[in-house]
Amino acid sequence: MASRQKIFNSLYSLTIFIIMEIVALNIMYRSGNGQEFFLTKFSQPFVKAFWGLSQGIGDYFSLKGINEDLAKENFALLTALTAAGVDTTAAREGVGAQSAIIEKFRYTRASVVKISTNKHHNYLILDKGARDSITARSGVITPFGVVGIIDTVSNGYAFARSFQNHNFNLSVRIGKEGTTGPLSWNGKSGAVLRDISLHFPFRIGDTVYTSGLSTIFPPDIPLGIIKEDRISNGSTREFDVDLFQDYSSIRFVTVVSNTEREEILDLERKEAGR
Amino acid sequence: MRNNLLTVCLLVFAQVLVCNYLSLSPYLTLSILPVILFALPTKYGTVATLFIAFAMGLAVDFMAEGWLGLNIVALLPVAALKRALCEALFGDEIIEREESFSFEKYGLGKIIFGIIVCQALFLFIYVWADGSSAYPLSFSATRWLVSSVAGVLVSIPLANMITKEDR
Repeated sequence: MASRQKIFNSLYSLTIFIIMEIVALNIMYRSGNGQEFFLTKFSQPFVKAFWGLSQGIGDYFSLKGINEDLAKENFALLTALTAAGVDTTAAREGVGAQSAIIEKFRYTRASVVKISTNKHHNYLILDKGARDSITARSGVITPFGVVGIIDTVSNGYAFARSFQNHNFNLSVRIGKEGTTGPLSWNGKSGAVLRDISLHFPFRIGDTVYTSGLSTIFPPDIPLGIIKEDRISNGSTREFDVDLFQDYSSIRFVTVVSNTEREEILDLERKEAGR
Repeated sequence: MRNNLLTVCLLVFAQVLVCNYLSLSPYLTLSILPVILFALPTKYGTVATLFIAFAMGLAVDFMAEGWLGLNIVALLPVAALKRALCEALFGDEIIEREESFSFEKYGLGKIIFGIIVCQALFLFIYVWADGSSAYPLSFSATRWLVSSVAGVLVSIPLANMITKEDR
């Protein structure tokens, strides 16, 4: 009788274990695929309240460095605009605006509430959300490259998958008119560019830019430079890329949304339905 | 230190801090969750331990990991095996008395072996789920080994601390 009870208890425990493991795998699958997952959305205000203070303290002590970066960036931008003969008066009047639409992309500035850089599926939380017209599948950029893609949006916050995440591939181009391929994080501080034809001419030190082939990121954002190359599977070439962006020092970002994205997706859906 | 709910909560919070602020190497994933489970008194049956593991994993995933479910998936098998492991290492007595192990009573060797099993199992699933498809096998294997060794070294004094007043 006692052994029967023991077997029953074991089976009961096993059943509970299997059910819980399936639930956990489902949570992991939905969270990892960047769907509008209710738990992720629910966690954002909580994480903001929990980690906002420590992030604020970190921000305070890094203000000097940030100011220096901003001054350098301003100088470079003004020099480029002046060299191109652009009147910067209108741009100066727009200082203080929260967002701007340039061509088909809307740019919104945002602060990083929390960013993880020490994991294998890194993420960041921004202080802008649906009420600031931020939508899922928008890009997150800085002047030094691509930071991530927005996965989930609540009213006041946005949860973004970092480029330093294994579920992130970015379409890039070598040089401004070169061949394109997928760029992904190498697990450390750099990235790997794959699937480049063996016949494509290149030089170590060539700059890698966003290709503009996706509906998320505008083209020609400089990301990094080619450091090393090797042949993969005998048929394509792989490149190690040194990124311009230091992910540990990101405090401010720009969210970029393609205002024609829905139209493009509609067109794709119609074509797929034919 | 008493092995109660408050202790578990404090240790889970410590794990959240470790996940958020301790970044020594991509090869190192430090987790104290397996030893917290292992050191729970055996008065908690397997089902209760499973629920505690789920809650602990969810708390850490929620506040630290960003990828929800990762810690839960890795921790549940440790919870499922915990009672059987205690029975195999320490005998039926520990189950009947519904107590936790102690270093004085059961010896360092058995406890370290239990911690190694828990850490190795947890990290095997964690590392496999976290990036086995993205990394070469050598990277994942090194990560598992380095993390297991570091985890065991941290877990031994922690286990001693958790079970101290239960002696």
